[in-house]
Amino acid sequence: MLRFLFRNCSIFTFLGIPILAVWNPRLFSIMDIQPNWPIFWLLPWSIINGPINGSLTGLFLGIILDILNNDFYTQIPGFIICGFWFGKVGFKNKKQMINYQYGLLASIGCFICGIIYFVQILLNHLLEEKNFFLFNYGLKIISTQIFLTGLLAPVFCYWLFVLFKYKKRLNF
Amino acid sequence: MIKNRRLSSSRWWNNQKKWFLFIVFILVVFLRLSKSLIVRDIYYFISKPFWPGEFQREILRKSNKKEFNIKIDQLEYDNLRLRKLLSLQRSSKSDSISASVISRNTGSWWKKVILNKGKRSGIEVGDAVVGPGGLLGIVEDISTFTASTRLLTSTESKVGAWVQRSNIHGILSGVGNDGPKLIFYEKDIDIKAGDYVLSSPASTLLPPNLPIGIIESVDKNSKPFTTATVQLTADPQAIDWVQILKLKI
Repeated sequence: MLRFLFRNCSIFTFLGIPILAVWNPRLFSIMDIQPNWPIFWLLPWSIINGPINGSLTGLFLGIILDILNNDFYTQIPGFIICGFWFGKVGFKNKKQMINYQYGLLASIGCFICGIIYFVQILLNHLLEEKNFFLFNYGLKIISTQIFLTGLLAPVFCYWLFVLFKYKKRLNF
Repeated sequence: MIKNRRLSSSRWWNNQKKWFLFIVFILVVFLRLSKSLIVRDIYYFISKPFWPGEFQREILRKSNKKEFNIKIDQLEYDNLRLRKLLSLQRSSKSDSISASVISRNTGSWWKKVILNKGKRSGIEVGDAVVGPGGLLGIVEDISTFTASTRLLTSTESKVGAWVQRSNIHGILSGVGNDGPKLIFYEKDIDIKAGDYVLSSPASTLLPPNLPIGIIESVDKNSKPFTTATVQLTADPQAIDWVQILKLKI
């Protein structure tokens, strides 16, 4: 059983992302704003498996989250860019990361995803009179998400990184 | 004899006879001089629960309440009948379904709540969701067992609303934060902070006259239209149970 769980740990942890996205645990939120959960999974995965694998996983993650949120806007471009970039960084550092580097990378990734999403909202409301009010809202969400994701990433990303790394090393 | 003596010495008023008589005398003098006013005051407090007036007032209050309820029911019935004649949107208490909030996303990009009733309970896309305080949002999509509600604070939310006091209609548009903007398509209008905002009777999306919120501030300098910030009366962050109102056209 344990062997089965360990062999499929990437799938099980991946399934946790949509559950967390729907659940929105209040324990990890500030002003009801959640950290960017998919980044926590995407970052260690891309570091270990490289940019191509990372961007493909980003695409897959984006599709799943878009289906879940059923919104007019998409998260796919943000996750593809992040997956590719995380993979490049992983290759450059030879998959050796310091704990707080996870925080920095996750914060930048969260910023990229947030900005891409916010630009879509702004473009959709470009000709509307309420466009001005949206800046306040967007900046608040992006800055809070960056802070939360950067704060929690060293913990979550490190755990997942160790898990994925050993799984690959033991060739399960 | 000895027994009588013992008895008389055991009574405290026999021991303190002088003082007892003196106090009684003072009391009598006081009552005489005060013309028994204090006695009447004491009687007032003692007899208060048994007054017929108070009892009657309670009966009257209950009767009035019943009368008002009957009147409200009658007016609702008339309203529904007339709206039916005019082919406008309508909803009634019997068309509502209770549901609980199973997921809440009020802070991030997606301002939504997920409810534990779906297609199986007869919920349809576009139904209005009402919580304690007033309107929360509109059902956006449904699955067999759940319904996702777009909150009024969402950037994609737009509903028709009106200010009842001055009979002015506008569009309530979410801007992401807790105070959506009410946009009026007129410039010089009689709107002030504290006015009640209700769902528009002319709206094709919502039941008429559902309480939405209170005007917090008015920006008459905004161009090209006057806008007002609305403080919502129903707080989606705190609400656990909601009512889903079915619409009929």
